[in-house]
Amino acid sequence: MTLYLPIAEMSVNLFVLIGLGAAVGILSGLFGVGGGFIITPLLIFLGIPPAVAVGTGSAQIVASSVSGAVAQYRRGNVDITMGLVLLAGGLVGTGVGVQVVRILRRLGQFDLVVSLSYVGFLGGIGLLMLLESGTAIRAARKGAKPLARRAHAHGWFDGLPFKMRFKRSKLYISAIPPLVIGAFVGFLAAILGIGGGFIIVPALIYLLRVPTSIVVGTSLFQLVFVTAATTVLHAATNQTVDLPLAFFLVIGGVIGAQIGAAAGSRLKAEQLRFWLAALVLAIGVRVALDLIATPAEVYSITPLVRGLE
Amino acid sequence: MTAAGLAGLLAGLALLAGVAGPSPLASPQGGSMAIDVGRGALIAVAAKKKSGAAPPATAPPTEPVVPPAITPSPPVERFPERLEVDVSTHTVAVTSAFAGTEIVLFGTVANSRQESAELGYYDVIVVVDGAGAPSIVRRKTRLGGLWVNTEALRFDGLPLYSAVASSRPIDEIAEPRILAIHEIGFDRARMYPGKGVSGLTPPEVDAYKSAVIRLKERDRLYVRDPYGVAFTGRSLFRATVRLPANIPVGPLDARVFLFRDGQLLATTKSSVMLERQGLERLIFDFAYDHPVWYGMLAALIAATAGLAGSFVFRRTGR
Repeated sequence: MTLYLPIAEMSVNLFVLIGLGAAVGILSGLFGVGGGFIITPLLIFLGIPPAVAVGTGSAQIVASSVSGAVAQYRRGNVDITMGLVLLAGGLVGTGVGVQVVRILRRLGQFDLVVSLSYVGFLGGIGLLMLLESGTAIRAARKGAKPLARRAHAHGWFDGLPFKMRFKRSKLYISAIPPLVIGAFVGFLAAILGIGGGFIIVPALIYLLRVPTSIVVGTSLFQLVFVTAATTVLHAATNQTVDLPLAFFLVIGGVIGAQIGAAAGSRLKAEQLRFWLAALVLAIGVRVALDLIATPAEVYSITPLVRGLE
Repeated sequence: MTAAGLAGLLAGLALLAGVAGPSPLASPQGGSMAIDVGRGALIAVAAKKKSGAAPPATAPPTEPVVPPAITPSPPVERFPERLEVDVSTHTVAVTSAFAGTEIVLFGTVANSRQESAELGYYDVIVVVDGAGAPSIVRRKTRLGGLWVNTEALRFDGLPLYSAVASSRPIDEIAEPRILAIHEIGFDRARMYPGKGVSGLTPPEVDAYKSAVIRLKERDRLYVRDPYGVAFTGRSLFRATVRLPANIPVGPLDARVFLFRDGQLLATTKSSVMLERQGLERLIFDFAYDHPVWYGMLAALIAATAGLAGSFVFRRTGR
């Protein structure tokens, strides 16, 4: 059963779309990532024009992150205060990022920057998380207690002003670090066409020492708003959001997110981190190989759509 | 040689000049050619009266004296061929069920001199082109171990879709020069390099062009069917052109060429319109006419679906 997509101008199999949405939804619910770094390449692989894949992917992440966020909220895993501070920074970062994207596209080096950023961030973060969670898993196997959280030993940002109480995260820290993290993630999100969950999750865990269970819900919470803003932005500037495509991805995604959230609550935190790290690293390696390996086709055609010139 | 014999020879020459080949008076219409034939016949009759010994004008009005395939001289034609074509559908509806389609182009050769459909007396080429769009073609080269876009060539017009169907491979039908004049074939298609062309040598520009063809053929947007035109009668032919599901929506323009021995005999045009209809049209128009509202609706639908999903799941209780 195929469906013709009015914006992408092509027809795709309906069940492939729903299945794709479900797969990404599971990851989203499980790890608290939007899944943008997976869905965008997959849509392009299906033959959807890259611009439409990025624009529509963001709509799909809205749905899966709403679904995931609600599921996490019910379990008391969302720190709304932290989410709002992250969001405030995120919107600023996105605004700057969109301008940078425009410049890079004009230079024809957008794809390269995306690939290099993917390799750098996915590879770096993936490796860090993998090592850390591997150590944690081994420690847990040996029966050692996980390291006690050093509640008042945050170190480098202790002296910063504007201290706020983040109740759920059991933190009393300056608002500046989460703001900066939010802005940085928002900037990268606009450039990479993703929600930025895979960056914000480790940043909250390792930099701010927010408990892993809270991190997932909080990340999803701020993702909802960042990706909603991105969706409107893509639709308004490039007309690259395909409603029917988004709709069927969403149906799959909503179901998947619930399954993912349920499965996530049965997994140990360090295992969750390990698998997310493995996934992130795998995609990073894949992108790196594409950059290094001799391509089958060195030419590419970019139609000049409105807003690129 | 007698005067009468000379007159008869002249009459024969006049007959040949009047009927065969591209006479300066002859228009592509059969009507004016018929007048030429008549005049030639009149002269012949006059010459016959003078001499009384000239051979009678033997050629019947509708049949060639000798089949041109055998004669080394230019083919003798009384009525030039004309083409009439029509397309199975002039409007292709692009709805949510659209998964690509086929259009069938029917044509007849008026004044066909082909005895039967199987003879291959004529060659027909059908070219269907979509609208042209400006595009940038980039080339990657290795830079410090990484494959990076380093070169680019802008094409002001690049047909988004192009199909060439023919009764046999087009290179066998006519010389490249003639195909180029009529823009038949992808490499001679309406591909116009624009900005950035100055720094490239002609072979480099050609490499870009063949890359475009390769990429478009891979996406099935450039289609060639060297046996896609078939005669079904001595004058009737049909061509089937495949429109893939990813074809850009817009007008298509069809050109039909009739060849014989590498010479273009006749050409004609037709057109097909691809149109979004129903829900597809509604969504498309909304997206382009009210982009901000469209984006908000998309985000709202997504958020609602996400909420609805989690409530449904809570009720069923996992």
